[in-house]
Amino acid sequence: MGKVTGFLEYERLEEAHETPEARKKHYREFYARLSDEDAKIQGARCMDCGIPFCMQGCPVNNLIPDWNDLVYRQDWKAAIEALHSTNNFPEFTGRICPAPCEEACVLRINEDPVGIKSIEHAIIDRAWDEGWVAPRPAAHRSGKKVAVIGSGPAGLACAQQLARTGHAVTVFEKNDRIGGLLRYGIPDFKMEKWLIDRRVDQMRAEGVEFQVNRVVGGAPVGAGNAQARPVDPKKLLAEYDAVVLAGGAEAPRDLPVPGRELAGIEFAMDFLPLQNRRVAGDRNVKDLWASGKDVVVIGGGDTGSDCVGTSNRHGAKSVANFELLPMPPDVERNPAWPYWPTRLRTSSSHEEGVARDWSIATKAFLGENGSVRAIRAVRLEWKDGKPAEIAGSEFEMPAGLVLLAMGFVGPYSSILEALGVARDARGNAQASTEAAGGYATSAPKVFAAGDMRRGQSLVVWAIREGRQCARAVDEFLMGASELPR
Amino acid sequence: MKFSCDSCGKKYATADDPAPGRVYKIKCKACGHLIVVKASAGGAPAVPHHEPPTPPPPAPPEIPLEIGAPEREVPPPWPNEMRARSAEPTAHVAMPAPEEQTPQPGDGGYVDLFSDTGASPLSSILFAGIPWEIGLAETQQTLVLNDLRSRIWVQTDGQLKTGRDVVIGAILGADEFGFSTAPLVVEGCIMMRKCHLNTCPVGIATQDPVLRRKFEGKPEHVVNYFFFVAEEARELMAGLGVRTMNELIGHTELLDMRKGVEHWKAKGLDFSRVFKMPRMPADVARFHCETQDHGLAKALDNRLIELAAPALERGEKVAIEMPIRNINRTVGTMLSGRIAARYGHEGLPDETIHLRFAGSAGQSLGAFLARGVWIDLIGDTNDYCGKGLSGGRISVQPSPKFRGEPTENIITGNVVLYGAIAGEAYFRGVAGERFAVRNSGAGAVVEGVGDHGCEYMTGGTVVVLGGTGRNFAAGMSGGIAYVLDQQGEFARRCNAAMVELEPLLAEAEQPARLARELWHLGEADEAIVRRLIERHVRFTGSRRGAEVLERWREYRPRFVKVFPKEYRRALGELAAAQRKVAA
Repeated sequence: MGKVTGFLEYERLEEAHETPEARKKHYREFYARLSDEDAKIQGARCMDCGIPFCMQGCPVNNLIPDWNDLVYRQDWKAAIEALHSTNNFPEFTGRICPAPCEEACVLRINEDPVGIKSIEHAIIDRAWDEGWVAPRPAAHRSGKKVAVIGSGPAGLACAQQLARTGHAVTVFEKNDRIGGLLRYGIPDFKMEKWLIDRRVDQMRAEGVEFQVNRVVGGAPVGAGNAQARPVDPKKLLAEYDAVVLAGGAEAPRDLPVPGRELAGIEFAMDFLPLQNRRVAGDRNVKDLWASGKDVVVIGGGDTGSDCVGTSNRHGAKSVANFELLPMPPDVERNPAWPYWPTRLRTSSSHEEGVARDWSIATKAFLGENGSVRAIRAVRLEWKDGKPAEIAGSEFEMPAGLVLLAMGFVGPYSSILEALGVARDARGNAQASTEAAGGYATSAPKVFAAGDMRRGQSLVVWAIREGRQCARAVDEFLMGASELPR
Repeated sequence: MKFSCDSCGKKYATADDPAPGRVYKIKCKACGHLIVVKASAGGAPAVPHHEPPTPPPPAPPEIPLEIGAPEREVPPPWPNEMRARSAEPTAHVAMPAPEEQTPQPGDGGYVDLFSDTGASPLSSILFAGIPWEIGLAETQQTLVLNDLRSRIWVQTDGQLKTGRDVVIGAILGADEFGFSTAPLVVEGCIMMRKCHLNTCPVGIATQDPVLRRKFEGKPEHVVNYFFFVAEEARELMAGLGVRTMNELIGHTELLDMRKGVEHWKAKGLDFSRVFKMPRMPADVARFHCETQDHGLAKALDNRLIELAAPALERGEKVAIEMPIRNINRTVGTMLSGRIAARYGHEGLPDETIHLRFAGSAGQSLGAFLARGVWIDLIGDTNDYCGKGLSGGRISVQPSPKFRGEPTENIITGNVVLYGAIAGEAYFRGVAGERFAVRNSGAGAVVEGVGDHGCEYMTGGTVVVLGGTGRNFAAGMSGGIAYVLDQQGEFARRCNAAMVELEPLLAEAEQPARLARELWHLGEADEAIVRRLIERHVRFTGSRRGAEVLERWREYRPRFVKVFPKEYRRALGELAAAQRKVAA
C-alpha cells in the first residue's frame, strides 16, 4: 500500500523519455523504467483501498496494492512473485498496456492515479536484470499433448500455463517468428522484440515446442511471409488431446469507397509489419515507405497511432490522422470511474507530429496514374449517436499514402471452418467464459482464447484469456485443475 | 533532482537525475502547466513532505437532557428503554446488522450520517450480524404481545436503500427508518473502506481541510435521493391500497410471502415466524401512537427545587432533610439544572444547598450535581451515583444502625462517578465495579472498589482506602489514584499497560525525587492524600480514614501511587510548552 499519506505528499511521475525530436530518429524504445527510488515513491502513493478497484479494472486482476507496497518497501523479489502470480508477461503490459487499472484507481476520481503501469514495468525489468525470472518446468509430465494455434499473447500465455502444469505443448505460428501482433504489428519503438525472444527461451526451457511457418486453415500470413506450410486440421485433432485456437482477429475493416483500388491505399497490418521486419534485419522487405509522402491515417485508435509513429520515422512529409467519431472530451479525471472512459488520449506517436481531426468520413480516393494522390472527405455532425454529413463541408487533402487503421472485424474464417468451429453473432469463435466448460468451442476438444474468441481487444485481455483457457483445457484433460483462475 | 514549475513556482523533486537528452514531464498540480524537465540539476533528493494536520476531535453532539431542561420537548436520547431498536427484542444496545449506523438523537435532533462498520474491510464484516428483518419482526411481536408498542418508536436500519425497503420495514413493524450507506454514496462515498485512516479520497470521512476540498456532495443530492425513496414508497403503498404509514405498520398480511419462499434459494427455509403477527385484541396498538408519561411530575427533585428556592433566587443557605427511596432516581439533577440555568457552571458557593437524605437512594444519585449542592446521605446508593459530577459534593455513610465493617461492605453501586468532571465524593464503604470510570476532574475517597477501578480515567484524584478488584487502571490516561495496599497485592490486580506504580512519597522527599512540573495539581502527593482523607473523615465520620490519619507514619509507605504514563508525558509537554512561551 505504501505510505498512508503518500498520495497527499507525492506527485505522480511519468517515466523519463526522449523528446519527440530525438526519438523520431530511431526505432528503439524511448521510455526508461523508473529508478528504484522513484518507484518506491510511486508505490507510496497507493492507498491500499479496502476495495481495490484497480484489481477489478485490470483484466488479469493483478495484485496491484500488494506489489505497490512491496516496491515501497523495496522488496523487489516478493514483488515479482506477486506480479507473476497473475501476469505471465509483465514486460509486455508494462510497456504497451493502456492501463485500465489506472483508470479504475480511486485517485483517478480527482487526482492523478497511482503510476501502476510504471511500477509494473520497474518490477519486471528489475527482475530480469537480477536473474529472478527463471523457467518453471513442471515436476511431472501428464502425458497429454496440446496444440496451441497462434503465438500471440493469448497463445503464449496459454502455452506457458499448460506447460508449467505438465502438458506437452506445441505452438504453431503461421509467421516466421513467434509473437503474433506483439512481433508483427506493434512497432519496435513501443516494444522491442528481443523481449519476446527472451520469453520464448524461457518457455522452451519449460518444454514448449514452437513451430513457425505453419498455418492452419490457409489464413493470409503476415505481410511478407510466403513460406508458411499448411497444417492438416484432421491430423491436428488426431495427434493432440486438445487444440487451442489463439489466432487473433486480424481481418481488417475495409473502406469500400470510390478509388479504393488505387495503389498507395494499404491496410495498417500490411504496412506496420514491414517495418518490424526491417528492424529485425530482414532483406527483401517489400518497398512500402511513407518517406516524403503526405500520409493520411484513417482510424483514430492505437493502430492508427502506430501508423503515425512509423510514418514519422520514415520521414513522411506530413501525417494526418482522421477519426469518424466525434472528438472525445478532453478531461484529466475519469468521468466514468471506475470504468474505461472515452476521453481524449494523446499517444506518444501523436506527440511526434500529426494533424488530428474528428468527425470526418472519407467519401472517395482521388488518383493519378493508378496511384492515390488525395482523399475527399466530409465533416459529420453527430446527433443522438447518428452521423449526418454537414452540407458544404467537403474537402480534399493531398494523400500519397493512405493507411487504413479502422479496426479488426474478426478472425479469419478459414481456420474456424477448417476445424468446424461455430461462430457467434460477431463472427468470433463461439465459446463462453463460464467456470464450467469455458473457452470450449462447438468442436470437441477445440478451445478458443484471445481475440479469436473476443474480437479485437487488448494484449492484457489476451493474457487473461490464455490463462483462463489453459485452466479450462487442464480441467478438460485431467478432470480438475490447479491452475489459477 | 529538484525543479519547479516555471509558471507558478511550485516545487517538485524526484530521486533521480535523468540522463542527458531524456525528459520528465509533469503536469503542475497547482496551476496545470505542463512542466518539461531535461538533464540533471544536481542537489540531494528531497520530496515535499507535509504531514496533514491532525484533525481536531469532533465536537460531541449536543444531547439535550429532558430531565435537566424540561422546557424543551425532546424525547430522551438513546440508549433508554423508551427507544427500542429493531436489532433485538430487548430494548437495549446490541446491533446485529453489520451495516447499522450509530444511533441518532431522534426527532427534534439532527440526522448524523456516520459510516462505522459499513466501512470496515469486507473481510472484517462478512457474516457479521443478522438481517434487520429478523430483529425487527421479533421486536414488533414482543412489544405488541406485551401491549407496549403504543408508547415506543421502533426504528430499523441496515442497508436500506429503496422505497421498497421502507415499505417492507413498515410492514414488519417499524415507525422509523435509518439510512446510512445509501445517502453517503449519494454524497460521493465510493466505499473504499479506509475511513479509519483519515485518508478519504473523496473528502467524506475526514476533517482534514486538504481532503475536505475533494468533497463534492451537496445537501440537495441527499434531499433528491430521499424524494425518490419517498415517491417509490408512495407508489408501493398505493398499490397496496394504503394511504398512511400507520395503516401499513405491522400488517404482515400485505406481504406476499409465497413467491419469496418458493424461490429455489429459499427452499428449506421457514419464515413463518418472521411474518407472524401476534393475535391481540384490536385496541392493542401496533405502531407508535402515545406519548409515554415519564412520571417526571412525581420526581423528588420537584420538591427539592421548591424548598431550595431561597438558594436559587438569592443564594441563601438552605438545609433540607428528607427520607429517600430507590424509586427516587437522578436526585439532585433537576435541581442542578436549575442552578446551571441561572449560574452556569460556576454554580453556587459550596454547601449553599445541604441535602440530608436517609435511606437507599435510587440510580444516578447526584448525577451532574452542580457546585453549591451537598448531598449528604446516610444509607446507601444504587449504580451511577455521581455520574457527570459537575462541582457538587456527595458524601455517603452507612446508617448508625449498621453493624458491619464499612471496608468490607458495599455502600454504592457500579460505574460511580462515571464521567465526573469536577467536585468531590466520599464513600464510607466499598464501591462496585468501574469506580470513577472516565473521571476527568473530580476528587473521591472510597474504602474499597470492585473490578476495573478508575477505568479510562483522564483526570481527577481517587483515594482507595482498601482492597481493589482486578484490572484497576485499565485505559487510565490521566489523573492520579492513591491505593492503600496493605496486603501488598495491588500490583497483581492493577493493569499496568498504561500506568506506573510508585510509592507515596513524603512531602519533604518529593522535590528531590520528582520534578515539580510532574506534580499532580501542583501539590505534593502526601498533602493531596491527607487533605482528601481529612475531608472524608469530616463528611462521613469514617473510622478507617481517622485511623489512617492517626497512624499516618505507618500507613503512608503502604500507599501506591498510580501514575498514568500518558499523564506524565502530558505534564512534561505542558511544562515544556510553557517554558518555550516564557522564553
